[in-house]
Amino acid sequence: MDIELSADDLAFRTDVRAFFSSNAYKPGTDYMAWRSEWFAKAAAKGGWDVPKWPKAFGGPGWSPTQHYIWEQETATATLPFDMPFGVGMLAPILMGYGSKEQQERFMPDIRARKVNWCQGYSEPGAGSDLASLKTKAELSADGKTYTVNGTKIWTTAAHMADWIFCLTRTADTGKRQEGITFLLFPMKQPGIEVKPIITLGGSHTVNMVHITDVKVPVENRIGEEGQGWTYAKGLLQHERTGLAGISRSLVALEKLKEQAGSVKRGNGSLMDDPAFRAKVAALEVDLMALEFTELRSLAAASAGGALGPESSIMKLKGTEIQQRIAKLTVEAGGIYAAGWGHPVGPKFARNGMAGYLSSRAYTIYGGASEVQKDVIAKNVLGIKSGRK
Amino acid sequence: MNFDLSSEQQLLQDSVQRFVKDNYSLEARIAITDVEPGFNKAHWKTIAELGWLGLPFAEADGGFGGGPIETMLLMEAFGKGLVVEPYLASVVLGGGAMRRGAPKALKDAILPGVIDGTRQLAFGYAEEQARFDLEDVVTSARADGAEFVLNGTKSVVQNAASADHIVVSARTSGGQADRDGISLFLIDAKADGVERDNYPTVDGLRASEVKLTNVRVGRDRLLGEVGKGFAILQAVANDAILALSAEAVGAMEILYKDTVEYTQQRQQFGHALAEFQVLQHRMVEMFMEYEQCKSLLFRATLESAQGTTTAQRTIHALKHLIGKAGIFIAENAVQLHGGMGMTEELRIGHYFKRMLVIDAQFGNADHHLQQFAA
Repeated sequence: MDIELSADDLAFRTDVRAFFSSNAYKPGTDYMAWRSEWFAKAAAKGGWDVPKWPKAFGGPGWSPTQHYIWEQETATATLPFDMPFGVGMLAPILMGYGSKEQQERFMPDIRARKVNWCQGYSEPGAGSDLASLKTKAELSADGKTYTVNGTKIWTTAAHMADWIFCLTRTADTGKRQEGITFLLFPMKQPGIEVKPIITLGGSHTVNMVHITDVKVPVENRIGEEGQGWTYAKGLLQHERTGLAGISRSLVALEKLKEQAGSVKRGNGSLMDDPAFRAKVAALEVDLMALEFTELRSLAAASAGGALGPESSIMKLKGTEIQQRIAKLTVEAGGIYAAGWGHPVGPKFARNGMAGYLSSRAYTIYGGASEVQKDVIAKNVLGIKSGRK
Repeated sequence: MNFDLSSEQQLLQDSVQRFVKDNYSLEARIAITDVEPGFNKAHWKTIAELGWLGLPFAEADGGFGGGPIETMLLMEAFGKGLVVEPYLASVVLGGGAMRRGAPKALKDAILPGVIDGTRQLAFGYAEEQARFDLEDVVTSARADGAEFVLNGTKSVVQNAASADHIVVSARTSGGQADRDGISLFLIDAKADGVERDNYPTVDGLRASEVKLTNVRVGRDRLLGEVGKGFAILQAVANDAILALSAEAVGAMEILYKDTVEYTQQRQQFGHALAEFQVLQHRMVEMFMEYEQCKSLLFRATLESAQGTTTAQRTIHALKHLIGKAGIFIAENAVQLHGGMGMTEELRIGHYFKRMLVIDAQFGNADHHLQQFAA
């Protein structure tokens, strides 16, 4: 066991830092132009635009330590915004289960961030119990075209998406998981209606998507009919480890300390208030531990391939920590956190409330915490499911 | 020992509950909060006609001589519907300061309008540097002949935009956090030098930053004695805590009951959510917290009504528990409603937001635990 970084790792870190600082966004300049250029330059570094892709598909092929360093550095640098759906979610499925033609057709535009994707998984009746989904895909008699009908919900960024990757039901017989098929189709076409859902933070990021008689050529099916669940499941696991948001929490915690430090109390600040200080300290302890849980998990993955049991707690602990930071930000704002029309009091107060309200979804999406715990009890602790 | 309501109290509770049931569906509430002034003038008139605006005022002042128990019954029922009419601001806060401190002539001039609903009040006590400390006042009031000249900014003043008069705390002597030297004044909301920056709060209510620049106010508008306003300020804050806690208890009841109902309907994995033991236990915890809050609310309200020496400490205990348990119940109501709990379409989220603001009003859970332990 050793936590020192090797000379190579240190050199890598210097390289990453230099890249981030020399390509930082300059306020006042064209953001979208900078974004394209940033990704192009990152690609030229040897796959830095797609850090998690394997080398065979153009990724950098980093070691776990290099991934860790990258994560740490991204926490304090300003990277261009990037939706996870194409590069992070669909691409791994295409790599694993897509045909060569599909890979060649979709991956270049995903990598160039030219096509925006959204994820059509949850349905009004299928939330945590995703396998109960009902959106129907019927194959024509000539076997060439699916006709899709149904409703998807909580579809993030559907209103900005060009394409959707969608779980559909092609069979009602047998195990529920076995009748699910993975289809890709464009969003901008008749038969697709996107309705905004306004969430508690007052923002529009998620949607309801009604799909009516949408025709999907069979070439847009990933893998085999009825195997979509298997493809999506691997991705869900991947998504859940990614949701821990450790580097983001590290930054948020530092910011919280700074914000609380700006709230005057007597001769000191809110950070001198014993109750508040203790809560911040407890968060820091949990975050320190979780950082190493992630490292252990990464190391196990690099040694043997499979993620260790410790990886299962990442989403649970990580999201809980994110929520606690958000809550303390609201507390730091005091009565000013209530202000909604325009900012009053300390600058952070208004965004703090919106952030906290949004954070309540972290323990619901990507597998609600209660379901995560069921999965851990069954798969990690080996407890046979009995009573509900 | 007896927790039964008198027949008058029972009547009051029934009629407030009926008002809420008839007027406060989620859609109706949103229709009110979406537009200015953020409350319904017809409802305000109804509330006045039902006599509720006169509830805590002495009969000599034209009121009904009610006490903390009556206010509790009314606010708990209001909490079940998240009523937005400015009862707290005008009657409990502004009215509370007036009935305690105003000279007779001023009461006679102002209170009849407050009670018949034609005038509204607001109460400006918070300042940015003070956080939750009532005695931290830098807004100044300088004596100038028969008048005082006020300068400073009062923060997050509920209902200031609609109020005709605002009660403000200002320092006439002493250091920034001294209890002595604070005076209370009734100023006209449209007086020269009063500038209101109005905004909605996250719970759909309305507040303002009220900037005072050389605002001149006569001595006849002083509530209580010069420099002795803190006792009134604290008594009004205690009333407010009792009222807000009652509102919170009403809201908690909706939150836990809606959750119990929803989880019995929502099917996942071939079962109603409520069949899962882990969710049953969570809902039992929500229910227990609600009952504990209600108990402490009764305790604090009864001690206040009787004026016991322990009342102040019990009020600190109450506000701590309300803040802590209220957010626990609300967060779990959202969690158990899943994605739907995160939307504006269900009432859960609206109750959640109100609970967050209640925690921040008149000192949050941490603040009152520290006061309790001190």
